[in-house]
Amino acid sequence: MQAQLPQRTLLSFALSVLFLSMARATRGCSNSSQQLLSQLQSQANITGDTRSLLEPYVRLQNLNPSTLREGCHRQPAAFPSEDALRALSKPHFLSTVYVTLGRVRHQLGTLRQQFVKTQDFPELERARQNTQGIRNNVYCLARLLHHPLETPEPTQAEPTRPSRPTTTTPSIFQAKIDSCRFLWGYHRFMGSVGRVLREWGDGSSRSRRHSPLRARRKGARRNRPSASSRSPAPRVQVPR
Amino acid sequence: MSALRTWLVQAVLIFLTTESIGEILEPCGFIYPEFPVIQRGSNFTAICVLKEKCLRQYDVNASYIVWKTNHVAVPKEQVTVINRTTSSVTFTDIILQAVQLTCNILSFGQIEQNVYGVTILSGFPPDIPTNLSCIVPEGKNMQCRWDPGRETYLETTYTLKSQWATEKFPDCQTKYNTSCMVSYTPVYFVNIEVSVEAENALGKVSSELINFDPVDKVKPNPPHNLSVSNSEELSSILKLTWINSGFGGILRLKSDIQYRTKDASTWIQVPLEDTVSPRTSFTIQDLKPFTEYVFRIRSIKEDGRGYWSDWSEEAHGITYEDRPSKPPSFWYKINSSHTQESRSARLIWKALPPSEANGKILDYEVILTQWKSLSQNYSVRGTELIVNLTNSRYIASLTARTKVGKSDATVLTIPSSYFKASYPVVDLKAFPKDNKLWVEWTPPPKSVSKYIVEWCVLSDEAPCTPDWQQEDNTVNKTYLRGSLLESKCYLITVTPVFTNGPGIPGSIKAYLKQAAPSKGPTVRTKKVGKNEAVLEWDQLPVDAQNGFIRNYSISYKTIAGNEIVVNVDSSHTEYTLSSLSSDTLYMVRMAAYTDEGGKDGPEFTFTTSKFAQGEIEAIVVPVCLAFLLTTLLGVLFCFNKRDLIKKHIWPNVPDPSKSHIAQWSPHTPPRHNFNSKDQMYSDGNFTDVSVVEIEANNKKPCPDDLKSLDLFKKEKLSTEGHSSGIGGSSCMSSSRPSISSSEENECAQSTASTVQYSTVVHSGYRHQVPSVQVFSRSESTQPLLDSEERPEDLQLLDSVDSSEEILPRQQYFKQNCSQPEASPDSSHFERSNQALSGSEEGLIRLKQQQGSDPILQPCGSEQRSLFQESSAAHALGMGTDGQVERFESAGMETANDEEIPKSYLPQTVRQGGYVPQ
Repeated sequence: MQAQLPQRTLLSFALSVLFLSMARATRGCSNSSQQLLSQLQSQANITGDTRSLLEPYVRLQNLNPSTLREGCHRQPAAFPSEDALRALSKPHFLSTVYVTLGRVRHQLGTLRQQFVKTQDFPELERARQNTQGIRNNVYCLARLLHHPLETPEPTQAEPTRPSRPTTTTPSIFQAKIDSCRFLWGYHRFMGSVGRVLREWGDGSSRSRRHSPLRARRKGARRNRPSASSRSPAPRVQVPR
Repeated sequence: MSALRTWLVQAVLIFLTTESIGEILEPCGFIYPEFPVIQRGSNFTAICVLKEKCLRQYDVNASYIVWKTNHVAVPKEQVTVINRTTSSVTFTDIILQAVQLTCNILSFGQIEQNVYGVTILSGFPPDIPTNLSCIVPEGKNMQCRWDPGRETYLETTYTLKSQWATEKFPDCQTKYNTSCMVSYTPVYFVNIEVSVEAENALGKVSSELINFDPVDKVKPNPPHNLSVSNSEELSSILKLTWINSGFGGILRLKSDIQYRTKDASTWIQVPLEDTVSPRTSFTIQDLKPFTEYVFRIRSIKEDGRGYWSDWSEEAHGITYEDRPSKPPSFWYKINSSHTQESRSARLIWKALPPSEANGKILDYEVILTQWKSLSQNYSVRGTELIVNLTNSRYIASLTARTKVGKSDATVLTIPSSYFKASYPVVDLKAFPKDNKLWVEWTPPPKSVSKYIVEWCVLSDEAPCTPDWQQEDNTVNKTYLRGSLLESKCYLITVTPVFTNGPGIPGSIKAYLKQAAPSKGPTVRTKKVGKNEAVLEWDQLPVDAQNGFIRNYSISYKTIAGNEIVVNVDSSHTEYTLSSLSSDTLYMVRMAAYTDEGGKDGPEFTFTTSKFAQGEIEAIVVPVCLAFLLTTLLGVLFCFNKRDLIKKHIWPNVPDPSKSHIAQWSPHTPPRHNFNSKDQMYSDGNFTDVSVVEIEANNKKPCPDDLKSLDLFKKEKLSTEGHSSGIGGSSCMSSSRPSISSSEENECAQSTASTVQYSTVVHSGYRHQVPSVQVFSRSESTQPLLDSEERPEDLQLLDSVDSSEEILPRQQYFKQNCSQPEASPDSSHFERSNQALSGSEEGLIRLKQQQGSDPILQPCGSEQRSLFQESSAAHALGMGTDGQVERFESAGMETANDEEIPKSYLPQTVRQGGYVPQ
């Protein structure tokens, strides 16, 4: 009897610690993965729209001429392509989005410095907050899926478009163009995220792993040094 | 070096100053706890610790400590001396919010000195905030509200905490308030966790966490740019377009649309299920043509979560026109002054209300069709048409036209001039209800096409200008659709209209709302009697009635009496107040009453009569009658007793002018026939006949007699020359009878003009037969007057006659003109004696005069005859009455012959009355 009591006490303590950690981990998050997925899709729709950030920026920076606008429409290396995202597992996808948006938020903060008055470009601050909100939902969804986020590796840039060396100080115009490209890439990335998430909602994710597209690009994914590739997370059915 | 020295000096000074101030400000002790905040109803203990230095300085210990709360000493029961330096005080159930607690010592045993003081605050710990809710107005920061619970009475801070799973947001703090707006813009589609923490000195509590997506708490901005457009194809629809609120199209909003007509106050709700899908336009159907509508719209998140936005600004729109849905009301009036061959008709119609006109009425088309003849068309913009018609029957039709089309026609039959209307409505009633004047009737037995209801205000100041309306044949109850005024009398007429013409109209009076009359009736008296008064008044003018006069009240009272109120039916215009007091002032006031109250008229006063009508007549007439009767009786009596009266009052005095000298000889037969006199003096009475000898005594003239004599002489001179012995005698004209005295005899002897006439003094006074026949002379009627003036003498004589019959008759002869009134009592007898002697002398003298004065003869003969007659009568033993009668009748005859009064009134001197013969 005397031996059993400490064992029970230890068990209760362990469970309590486990529940407390879980509760602490999910505090502030919705406990509905469907809601989280819906929220993410909505956020992706909002942020994927260029009217939310890029177009105000173009107007504000006088990059309106079509030639200049076309110069913005280049996929920056900072954002993974849609295919790449689609090829990721859910934990990796979530991690990638989380990390990418962390960089975006930082970049938006840098971009904010270009404007003396933030009220001149309120969309920028709104975009920063949305980015952080998306990251929060991604975090919560990952937690809900029992896939604690790991720091993803930087997304690999596209091979056809080498990234510019960051060490060189660009001119103001070039900075604007770079920012424009960044913003365009951000919108495009979020659009891709939204579409991938929609596929999650449609249940196409079940067959995605076996789709030819995914198989065709699997090799590319494998080339990336990713922790998730080394220890794939268990698949969790996303509730519809 | 000097600078260093200066610095050191300053430093030392500052140190010393600081030390000294510290010494001064250093208290003798402290209270613990220094900032006490306690919960109400709980116990609290404070201690005061004195410093050793003070104990020595003031030679005190803890037992010298006095605790005070708000300057009031704390009872010693609550104080405990713990040791030499420490004292404690305990309070139970502090309810004051703030209490000042001081620790004091009694230095030197009596001087109270404050040691330290603290403020005790009491209150409650905060309750757990409940009902936490947040709202996110579009474009604004999130605002949360909560219920703080019980009042804490302490400064309580509420902190609104919000966080994501990965990020905490700045707290929102507020004191006392129950809401707080966060400083950041919430991010949609990210769940946020919110709680509110309440904290004061007695505790800190936190509400339950609420976790929500701010997008589910959104209150959108109202839709804007709401516009309305109509359709020419459909006059019953309007299309709304608007722009939903911001969010850049992020949120899907559903709408709530309401509309109403411009003049209406209540909104019509478009079913929410029709607008559940997000949209920016909507078409509303089943609207009235050519009607202005007002619209508004609001929105909410499509899933219904969150809050409805405020209503948008109202937008107006008018539906397109259509043809009138109803024909106008149509009626006519025939001008009363029409000729035999034509008449003037005034066709009138009502403008269609907008709800029936369905557009702007361009004109009205009137078609007049005479019986079996061509029709006449009129296009009129107004609402009346005056046409000349023959006496025939007409059919009039009326249509209203908009730019879309014409209404149906309303047809009216104008009968011929010889048409006889019939069938009125029955049981016509009018009554106010719901601030409207309703009219109800029973249809006539004949089929009715429609009804025409007319009404006008009855007024004494303005003519009755009727308004009218048309009702369908199925209607038997309606209200007057006009702007009616309260307190006005309306004359309402309902006319049934048949296919062949109008029926007999029925009328009734009614009020929309009655009120008390604006003035009271003016009462007046029609007739005032002793105990009643008839009051009358005029009916109030209709403008002053303000309602149906139900009754009058008459209040009347005397000045000091109680007021009496009488109610009178409104149909009366006069009333009789009865049981009034006579000769009393009454105040009357009259009031007229409607159903809503009354109004007094002016006060009126009247005074009742002293006598009733006819009362005076009833008194006066009998009195007059009685007087007349009495008078008549008196007259009759006098007439019957005229002889007696005459005898006493107005005895016949023989007219000397008619006298005749009688045969003084007893043998001389009487010249006159006294038969008639016998008849006249049938009672045998004979007026005292006195023979007065009036002498104009020059020796002893009496002033009066002389005066009279002079006057008589003058008259005599002025006459036609007649002379008379009587007239010539001054004593004759005397107002007093001459007395046959010695002096008088002398006067008579000495005066040639003395005329003597004799009067047969018959002693038959009052049926007493004189014992002695006396013959005396008389020359004037004055003795009679004297006897008339002095009836007592007669009475006295009467009495005397009883004892001595002759004396009274002789007194007349004994009267002395010079002393007529001296010794009246004794003179009677005296004079009588003298008269006896005088009479004898007179006879002698008379004879002498007859011889000397022929003029006097006739008179003497007459007197003589009288005397003879008297003596003869006496000798024959005849009654005195008969003698007197005869005598008087002779006198009367004489008077009749010459139309001279039978008697000689003493003061009446007629022309020729004393004419001497």
